[in-house]
Parts: sequence; C-alpha cells; structure tokens
Amino acid sequence: MQTSDVVIIGGGVVGCSIAYHLGKRGIPTHVIEKDDIAMGTSGACDKAVLLQSKNPGIHLELALKSVKMFPELQKSLDTDIEFLNHGCMIVIQNENQWKVMEGFVERQKKLGLDVKLLDKNEARDRQPALSEDILGSTYSPMDCEANPIYLTLGLYRGAKKHGVKFSLGTKVTGIKLEKGRIKSVETDSGEILCKYVVNATGVYAPTIGRMVGLNIPIVPRRGQIIITEPVPKLIHGGLNCARYITAKFRPELLGTDEMAKLGVGLALGQTENGNLLIGGTREFVGFNKTTTHKALKAILKHAASIVPAIKNVHVIRSFAGLRPYTPDGLPILGEVPEVPGFIMAAGHEGDGIALSAITGRIISEVIADGKPSDDLNIDMTKLSLDRFKNVDVNEFRESHNCYSFAS
Amino acid sequence: MNEEFICRCEEVTRKEIEEAIADGATTVAGVKKRTRAGMGLCQGRTCRRLVTQMLSKHKAAEQIMPDTSRPPVRAITVEEIINSEDR
Repeated sequence: MQTSDVVIIGGGVVGCSIAYHLGKRGIPTHVIEKDDIAMGTSGACDKAVLLQSKNPGIHLELALKSVKMFPELQKSLDTDIEFLNHGCMIVIQNENQWKVMEGFVERQKKLGLDVKLLDKNEARDRQPALSEDILGSTYSPMDCEANPIYLTLGLYRGAKKHGVKFSLGTKVTGIKLEKGRIKSVETDSGEILCKYVVNATGVYAPTIGRMVGLNIPIVPRRGQIIITEPVPKLIHGGLNCARYITAKFRPELLGTDEMAKLGVGLALGQTENGNLLIGGTREFVGFNKTTTHKALKAILKHAASIVPAIKNVHVIRSFAGLRPYTPDGLPILGEVPEVPGFIMAAGHEGDGIALSAITGRIISEVIADGKPSDDLNIDMTKLSLDRFKNVDVNEFRESHNCYSFAS
Repeated sequence: MNEEFICRCEEVTRKEIEEAIADGATTVAGVKKRTRAGMGLCQGRTCRRLVTQMLSKHKAAEQIMPDTSRPPVRAITVEEIINSEDR
C-alpha cells in the first residue's frame, strides 16, 4: 500500500497550487486527479486576474495578497504563465451603474486598491476600441492577467519537480477514517495511507464531502465564453462592465429580461496569440456544460455594444466552465473540525485563478504549521465550512437547480 | 520528421506533442491544453486524428475520447451570430 502525508484530490489550479507549496516545504504529497491537469473549471475560464471584481472585505484582502505572489510565480516556474500587469477597466454604460460603481470604488480604495473613475474621454483614450455610447469606466493599474491553463500546468510541473506525486486518470472511490480521523484514500488503482486529505475538487467537492459524511454547500454556476480568431492588438489589459460586477454579487438587481436571466456581463481580454476571449454568463443549470445559442447571442450583442469593432471578427469556438459557487461567494478553506485531517479548499467560484496562489500558501501552512502564518493576518473563521452551519444545504442546492451529485 | 507540423493552424510539431504526452497528457484535450494543437481556426479537424494516433501508442485507441465539440461548426462573424434568429 502506498503512503503519503497528504493526499490532494483534484488537479485544478487550486490543487496544483497547494501541491506546489507543500512540495516546496518537502512534505510528502500525492495528487489524485480523475482526468488530467486543468481539465475542469481551471481550463474553462477567462484570463483575468482581477482585484476590482472582489467584494471589499476579506474577499478583496485575499485577492490583494494572492496577486502579489504572481510575479514571483512567473519568475520561479519553468512554464511561462503569461502573467501581465496591464490593468483592467470596468465599463459604465448608464447613470445607475455610475452610482453603484462610485460606491464600490470608494470602498475598494479604503482597502488599498489603486482604482479610480474615468470619464468617457479618459476611458476611450486608454481603450480606443470602446464605443462612443459609454458613460465612463473605472480603471485599476493593479489588475492582472495570466494564462489559466499554463498557470495550472506550471504549478503541476513545479510541484513534480519538488517531489510531489501525481496520479492522473485516477478516481477516488472512498475515504477511510479511523477513530474519526483520516486514515486513507481509496482509488480505482489502490489505497493510499495518509494523515491529511485536501478536497480541492471545486464543483465536485460535495461528492467528496459525502464520503466523510459532510454536506458541503457548493453548486455549479455556469459561465459561457466565446473565442474568436486571432486579430491584431485590439484590447489593452482587461475589460469588464458594471453588469459583470452586478451579475456576480447582486444578480437580482439586473432585472428579469433574458440577459438578466443568463447573468450576462462583459469579460473581454485578448490572449498573447491574439484571440479574443469574450464572456460571459452566470447561470445555475446543474452540471450542464453545453453552450447555448441564446447565451452566445446575448453575450456578443452586449460585447458589441461596448466594443463595436468586434462585429467583423470571426468566432471559432465557445465553451462553458462550471464555477463552484458558495452561499456567500467566498471559498471554503481549512480543516473541518468534525473530521480531523480533512481539509477543504474549494468554492472559489470565478476567483480560483486569482486566489490560487494565496490558497496554496494558506492550506500548506494549515497542514505544516497548524494555521496560516500571522503575517498573512487572515480570519479563517470567515472561510470555514462551519460558517454555513445554519444553511439548509439541500435547500440551497435545489434552489440553485442542482439536484444530483456528480460522480 | 520530428519537426513536421501536426496542427497546421497553430504550428504545433510532432516533437511538441510527444513532449505533451511525456508530461502526462492521455487525451486529445490534454494535448491541446499543453500545446494549442486544435485551438486554431479549424478547431482540430485535421490534427485530432493525428494526435489520437500518437496517443494510441501509449493507450488503447478505444479509450481515447474525442475532444468536446462546441459551436460554431465553422468560423462565423460576431455580427452573423447577433443577427441570427432565436432558436
């Protein structure tokens, strides 16, 4: 039988980041991934590493600490993660949005985010492709971008270099406890004795949680994204819209039309190859990963109202990713006291890429030192599974159209 | 021989695909994520067969799943999609 101090379940960006940090500290670690690296949510998202899309509070604090770690990753990983610090703008199309964004920006500034409002001319000077019909935008020079697939692969390769073992194409079939504590992980190719199990399986976290008797409140939220042919430089840095922020945090404010039902908000970026990535939606449709004509049309119509020049560009593909959504929009991190040795690292919704670095550090410190180091100054109770003890998890799942546990 | 293009759109060579397989890729999607093979204009119409053939040296061919197909079937402009009829 194999033995490892830590078994991480899930080879997405979160699992690979934790593996990388544990590997660097020399802690024997084994990652079990049912498919391949970055094959789920981490490989089906856009390229933004955003601070502006984080709620002022612990959410933004985590992101600020995480994004600070990216330049070092770009340097130390052997894989080019295409990290860029070219800022991001959030486009404002009407007076109502302006009022909302004004308040949002003020609160973010207080937490140390360098962000300001631009009028129409200032916005169009910075991003010449913007429509004449916009009202203005925000701008933060602190927002970044990275290639999510290369980031995940880079962390995977970095972890392997530091001695972490990976079993790809391997499925976890059960978790054994001994006197209530983690004893081993059973897979379709054998059992691994271990002290800790890290549940880094994103939208599949409830399935793993059930193996140790936990009911974890995470449901899939689908995001559809469109890819175009490569075009000459059109978009500088990242571009989002105020609807995107509203769709993320207060979807009920968008109204009841088709666009609102789909949770359409702009997320636009251009890859190093020149392809445009145009998103996106926020929909609760269970584990359905298909893309829909209705959504693609709505996304593109909205995007073209902000950047008219995209109308003549060819679309080559669409895809959808399932974001692991929790009742308060924050990830679930840390050891679960009811099951000693069982550690949660899931539920990052659309922030998995941005928060991957800090998550890797926090979880590796929880395992190695019992808690995150004091200089991080993170209130782990705000991220614990326990914060949802009064949430009716079954009701939460069903009200978000999630009626089954994915295998 | 190793420098020949398997994916013409993204100019991915046989050698790069072999490296991706050595890095752990066991599926067409795994090769694609590591190399960009199949991410170009034709979306893998030619290279997915060649990549599958290369993968089959390491894994039984019937176990190699095709990559997910997604709309559009062929490249069309943003404007054509915006003006398309609701379905």
